Parts: sequence; C-alpha cells; structure tokens
Amino acid sequence: MVLSVENLSKSFGKNKVFSDISFSVNRGEIVCIRGKSGEGKTTLLRCLTGLEDADKGSIIINDMFLCKEENSHIKYAQKAELVAIRQEIGLVFQSFNLFPHMNVMENLLEAPTFLKKEAAETIRKRAEVLLKRLELEGKEDSYPFQLSGGQKQRVAIARACMLNPSVLCFDEPTSALDEQTRAQISKIIRDLASQGIAIIIVTHDNAFVDEIAQRIITMKDGFITVD
Amino acid sequence: MEAKVLKMLIPMALDGLKATIGVFALTLIVSIPLSIAVAKLRISKNKIISNIIGMYIYVMRGTPLLLQLMFIFFGYYRVPVIGYAFSREQAIFIAFILNYTAYFAEIFRGGINSVDVGQYEASQVLELGKSHTFMRIILPQVIKNVMPSIGNEVITLIKDTSLIYILGAGDILKAAKSVSNAYAAFSPYIYIGFVYLVITAVLTKILGKIENKYNYYR
Repeated sequence: MVLSVENLSKSFGKNKVFSDISFSVNRGEIVCIRGKSGEGKTTLLRCLTGLEDADKGSIIINDMFLCKEENSHIKYAQKAELVAIRQEIGLVFQSFNLFPHMNVMENLLEAPTFLKKEAAETIRKRAEVLLKRLELEGKEDSYPFQLSGGQKQRVAIARACMLNPSVLCFDEPTSALDEQTRAQISKIIRDLASQGIAIIIVTHDNAFVDEIAQRIITMKDGFITVD
Repeated sequence: MEAKVLKMLIPMALDGLKATIGVFALTLIVSIPLSIAVAKLRISKNKIISNIIGMYIYVMRGTPLLLQLMFIFFGYYRVPVIGYAFSREQAIFIAFILNYTAYFAEIFRGGINSVDVGQYEASQVLELGKSHTFMRIILPQVIKNVMPSIGNEVITLIKDTSLIYILGAGDILKAAKSVSNAYAAFSPYIYIGFVYLVITAVLTKILGKIENKYNYYR
C-alpha cells in the first residue's frame, strides 16, 4: 500500500466538503474518484497533495504521515519531513499550470534542480528520457503557448514525474482533450501505472473512468458511497 | 543674440543634465527593488504591516512631490525629537525615492495579484519554496505584466526631476531659467524642451526593448 487515507474530513467554514473519507491505493493501481461537480473530489485531491489542510483524519504516503490525528487535533509533519513526503505525491492540474516563461526543458528541470536531488547532468538526462517516452522529442525549446492542449498535459505529466513520485494525481485530465489525445493520455497513464506509480484520477468523465479505472470510488454529498 | 544664449546655456545645461540624470538614475536604481519589497509587504497577510504600508502609499500618492521635497528639506528637522536636517542632496534623493517607491509598489502589487494562483500552486506542489517561487516563477511574469505601467512612471520621473529647483538645486530646467533671465529670452526653454524630448525618446526606445525582451512568451 502506497497511500492510505483514514477518516479525512474537510470544511470551509460551515460548509462541509467531505467527511470521514477512508481509502487506500496500492502501487501501480489506477483509482478513479468520480462524482458530480461540487462533491469535493478536487478538494480531496488538494488535501492529498498538501494544497489544502484537512481538518480531521490522517494521510499516510509510503509509511510517512503527511498528517495524523493526535488528541482530536490534526497534526501535520514538520517542514523538512513535509518537503520529503510531498515529493512522493505529484499532481497534474486540470489547467496544467506550466510556467509560461520557461520552455519545456526548463519546466522539467526547475524543481529537481532546486531540490538538488541529483547531479545536473543526471537530471537533464532523465528529463530527455521522459520527454522521449511522452513523445515530446524536439519540443524541449518550445514555450507552453506554442503547444497544443495534449502536449501541455504531457509536459505537466513529465514535470510531475521528474520528482519520482510514488503517487500521481490527475485533476480532470480529459476535460480539454479531443478523442485522439484522450486515448494517448490514457495510454500514458497505464504506462506510468505499469512502472509502479499509483494513479489517482478525479473526473466526472464516466466514459474515461470505464476505460481506465482498475478501481472506482464514487463520492456523493461529501461521502464515499461506492468503493 | 541666439549664439550668446546658446553659449551660456550649453555649459549650464550640461551641468544641469548631470543633476537631472543623477536624480533619475538613483531614484530608479533604489526605488524599483525597494518597491517590490514594499508591494510584498502591502499584500502581506499581517494586517498591521499591510495597513502601515497602505498609509505610507496613501500619503506619498496623496500629496504633491513638490510638497514632499519641501517637507523633507525645510520641515523635517522641525519635527520634535528628530532635530536633524538633511542636506539638499539627501532631501532630494529621499523625497524622490520615497515618492516613486510608493507609485512603483502599487504597480508591482497589481502585477503580483495578476499572476494566476495556479502558478503558486504548481510551485508549491513541486516544493519550490516561497522565495524561489517568487524570484524564479512569479517575478519574471510580474515584470512582463507591469512593464508598460513602469515605463509610464519612468518617463514621468525624468520630467519630475525638474522639481528639484524648489530646493535651489540646478537641473536643466533651472539652466534654462537662468539664461532666460539673463537675456530676457524665451528660447532657452524651447531648447531645454527639446532636450527633454530627446531623453524621452531614448527612454522610450530602451523601455520598448525591455518590453520586447519579455515578448518571447505569452
């Protein structure tokens, strides 16, 4: 098991987004979380990736606590630990959020270079391999505005993969893609899963869920109704 | 007559140009980096800091630069407890830097707020750290966004340097005034007007080049 979520709850003021969510994901598993808009799927993803703090419950990634409940209060990991834990879980945003002033290669190199995880030459080589695998060869010097939606998404996937995450989350990955690009993305996701990366996809695209999911979690009114 | 006017005007104008360019350059060099820090403090979550900076910007934008120059040179030492008088040069630089920092800070604040929140979130997920995110991800996008407004202020600044005459400092406009008084002629003002136009043309060109430098992406 690479990710375990236990009794996770989140509210914005008096508005309860989700309550007592529990599930776990295994290495190489593709899990789709589906539900209508406003059911709390994206907020759940944001809690998993550390963009939002949960109110209750625990998140365990690779046996490390991102947060846990202590004396009925949620406690997040210390800063140094937090940086290490959060590198284990990547996120591909719905709108990709590539850095517009950096070309494709710079987008990929920025985080691992800053975090000094490996030598610069090793990082660059890994980026080249990833770009080749994602069929982005020759696009190293292109800027995000010069890319199509599908290409931007693949760059976003490559950028997230540069930190070698154990879990990779996708927020509505098919929302802006045509049929052909969708098929390409689903192949890439399967490929990533076959390498042992756990995949969590939040989507309301039922056809895509049927096509790719190994497990489906359905959220309704802030609760998991089917797993 | 015109030859005499020019003979007197040129050396005085060159001297005055040194003051004009000096005030202009030092104000820019200090104000721009300072204004980025001030803009960050203005949008700080700490309400006390944000309000203090807001008040400073309000005072600087709400009173004329001429008055600020006069206050810092003539009025500041009269403030009880302080009892310290700035030299003419100090007063000029302090007034210009304080005033332009406030204007630039408001421009940068707008620029920072205009960057998509997704850029911060992507940086956070990639663990880029707050200062690295600001310097490498946010600031380059802010600079692109604010360049046209900064350009306007830069051109206003070159013209505002003429206000230093109020403290008795000699800039190019003062040179024109002195020669005009000496020969009872208006032409020195016209010549100096052309000098301002030439400086503005050079600045417009430079600013355009800087803007173009950031046009490599959208």
